[in-house]
Amino acid sequence: MLSTKKECVAMLLAGGQGTRLGVLTQEVAKPAVPFGGKYRIIDFPISNTINSGIDTIGVLTQYQPFELNQYIGNGQPWDLDRLNGGAFVLPPYQKGKSGEWYKGTANAIYQNINFIDRYNPEYVLILSGDHIYKMDYSDMLDFHKKNGADCTIAVLNVSIEEASRFGIMNTNDKNEIYEFEEKPKQPKSTKASMGIYIFTWEKLRAYLIRDEEDKDSQNDFGKNIIPMMLADGQKLFAYEFSGYWKDVGTISSLWEANMDVLNPKSSGLNLNDRGWKIYARNMAEPPHFVGQNAEIKNSIVSEGCNVDGKIVNSVIYHGATVEQGAEIKDSIVMPGTKIGKNCRICHAIIGWNAVVGENCVIGAPQTAPVKGEWQIAVVGPEMELAKNSVVTEGQMVGGNK
Amino acid sequence: MNNMMSVLFASGNEAKLNELTLHRTTASLPFGGRYRLIDFTLSNLVNSGITQIGIVTRSNYQSLMDHIRQGRDWDLNRKNGGISVFPPFVYNSSKEAYKGKIEAIYSIFNFLNHAEEDYVVLSNCNVAANIDFEDIYNFHIEKGAAITVVSHKGYTTSSQRIVLEKAADGKITDVYETEYVGTEEKLISGNIYIIEKDLLKDLVQKAYAHGLVDFEKDILFKLVAEGKAYTYELTGYAAIIDDVKTYYAESMNLLNYETREALFGQEGKIYTKVKDSVPTVYGEGAVVKNSLLADGCVINGTVENSILFRNVRIEKGAVVKNSIVMENGVVGKDSSVSYAITDKDVEVSEGRTISGFSTYPIVIVKGKKV
Repeated sequence: MLSTKKECVAMLLAGGQGTRLGVLTQEVAKPAVPFGGKYRIIDFPISNTINSGIDTIGVLTQYQPFELNQYIGNGQPWDLDRLNGGAFVLPPYQKGKSGEWYKGTANAIYQNINFIDRYNPEYVLILSGDHIYKMDYSDMLDFHKKNGADCTIAVLNVSIEEASRFGIMNTNDKNEIYEFEEKPKQPKSTKASMGIYIFTWEKLRAYLIRDEEDKDSQNDFGKNIIPMMLADGQKLFAYEFSGYWKDVGTISSLWEANMDVLNPKSSGLNLNDRGWKIYARNMAEPPHFVGQNAEIKNSIVSEGCNVDGKIVNSVIYHGATVEQGAEIKDSIVMPGTKIGKNCRICHAIIGWNAVVGENCVIGAPQTAPVKGEWQIAVVGPEMELAKNSVVTEGQMVGGNK
Repeated sequence: MNNMMSVLFASGNEAKLNELTLHRTTASLPFGGRYRLIDFTLSNLVNSGITQIGIVTRSNYQSLMDHIRQGRDWDLNRKNGGISVFPPFVYNSSKEAYKGKIEAIYSIFNFLNHAEEDYVVLSNCNVAANIDFEDIYNFHIEKGAAITVVSHKGYTTSSQRIVLEKAADGKITDVYETEYVGTEEKLISGNIYIIEKDLLKDLVQKAYAHGLVDFEKDILFKLVAEGKAYTYELTGYAAIIDDVKTYYAESMNLLNYETREALFGQEGKIYTKVKDSVPTVYGEGAVVKNSLLADGCVINGTVENSILFRNVRIEKGAVVKNSIVMENGVVGKDSSVSYAITDKDVEVSEGRTISGFSTYPIVIVKGKKV
């Protein structure tokens, strides 16, 4: 069989529906949601992978896969169109007489054992497609090798108050994990799992097969595989990561992470990093045009935009139009959107290709809004909002519900 | 399957572009914030289904090679066809790079012979327009023309331009070359031709054998005299760039919505080398009006009626008006730049003042620090 050995293969779990993002993920999977002016969420783990020197990545899709399949294509934008290895989109498929959806995170990998075996890797890196962060996985891999670990889990130190929202790793002073607690009421540690795992493939392979045999298992890494390995006394280590990391699974966290892009110094999320570029599929749009009546402060604007309104503390994605007299504050305006004359938009997310008519008022009042005290208003993708419409603070419109 | 291939000349019209082509070919002249002139030609060809493309270079072609690489950004990294770049060659006894298009075409007969296509688009790379070559090809066939010249209304300039006169059916009735600055609108050749491959080879072979070098004077003019040449007039927007003045004027033209729509808003997209820059960042001190900005810029000063290429930094208190700032340019704190074209990697230090005039923009050479 054609195969070239790879030291490490990355598997990216991109099948999540992301129900908490509401109308934004009705037609696309969460990893395909636009982020940061010109990217998609999935650009972050994929760019991290290639920047870490790992050139073989399987992207496991399930929910609304079309957009992701098309976006990833042959992996060329991430330099992943390789002769050996590269990017592969792996949807569930028929095998012999059976064929089934990915039942859980572990089952998704189980169903692709053959794919991983083709590369005969020593290690497998498991990633999820819904986090914004920059991380060198090769450092984590070195840590895994140095410890002779069977599994290494990346952890972030969170505050003790937040700790009960995460999967928490309880470790000894050498960072060896002796206990894993999912959302503990009384956390013993503040080391929260980031959903990034490195396994020694031989070990993981055996556990995946064992887990599959257990009909009661939920086939989940956090719920089943990790506890099983701990119970067996395998060597599990926590790898402490200290950079920017955010789960963008909710409307407010997605909004916050976009705002973090605007303030790289205070947030620590600097996208303008020549040593660690985030790659995205290019849309072939011309430079953006700023009109005579425009006023833009503390914002980012991407290619293909036409801006003639006032924009403050906002992220304007590629191909968006903001007409004269419109005022946009503390908001996210996604690709291809059209914002009509004299609109007032504040603390809002406007979904891609939405058309907002003239004089609409969306979100919190423009006067003295304090960040964090307002719920985010959301206009769904492709939505046409009639002129003079009002979308109140925290309201979500659009979609087919 | 398309029946056209293309041969591009990267180095036409360099004489009057002065410092702008000191380090590059006309084809690789940056234009429109994130493009090179050749991007328009290549995108038009690809959008018209033409994927067998040869590029003839003469000198300074390193920046062009770096820009084009394998042609992937135009979807031209193909098994069949794609881009072939012909470096300058010494073919004549005087050991010089080719003297004219006739010699250049003669020397790439192999490339022409190996291609399946029967028609050739010959083009300089100094026209920014959104052109459908399929339409021009149909016109060429319908007229039974020996050669079809793509033209556009414009004025004669101090740069060498070819002026056409045509009959109602498009037949060229007169053709001449001029460097006289005129005020009357004329039909100007875009130096883009369609011709049948076998006929081209035949004409070039004969001309070369007679020691002729000038494709326009020695081949085109004769075909016009024989009544076999037609012109296809582009009625939409087309920028013919052949000196600093037209470069500046056509750049400023892009600040009009209609021009941008004609160039970029069409079905055929304009592709260029992908650089993965981040979106442009506007700081607290940014005041930007009527300007075109590519990705990767950081704006903390004032920008009016200007074009900023990728990764330009405008520092606090700096004022840029009526200017073109190319890639990686830096305009330092409290400095002022007006009616200027600053080439790639130019740095204007803190507190400097650079000022040209609308009809004579000042050009700062690539990589200089003011």
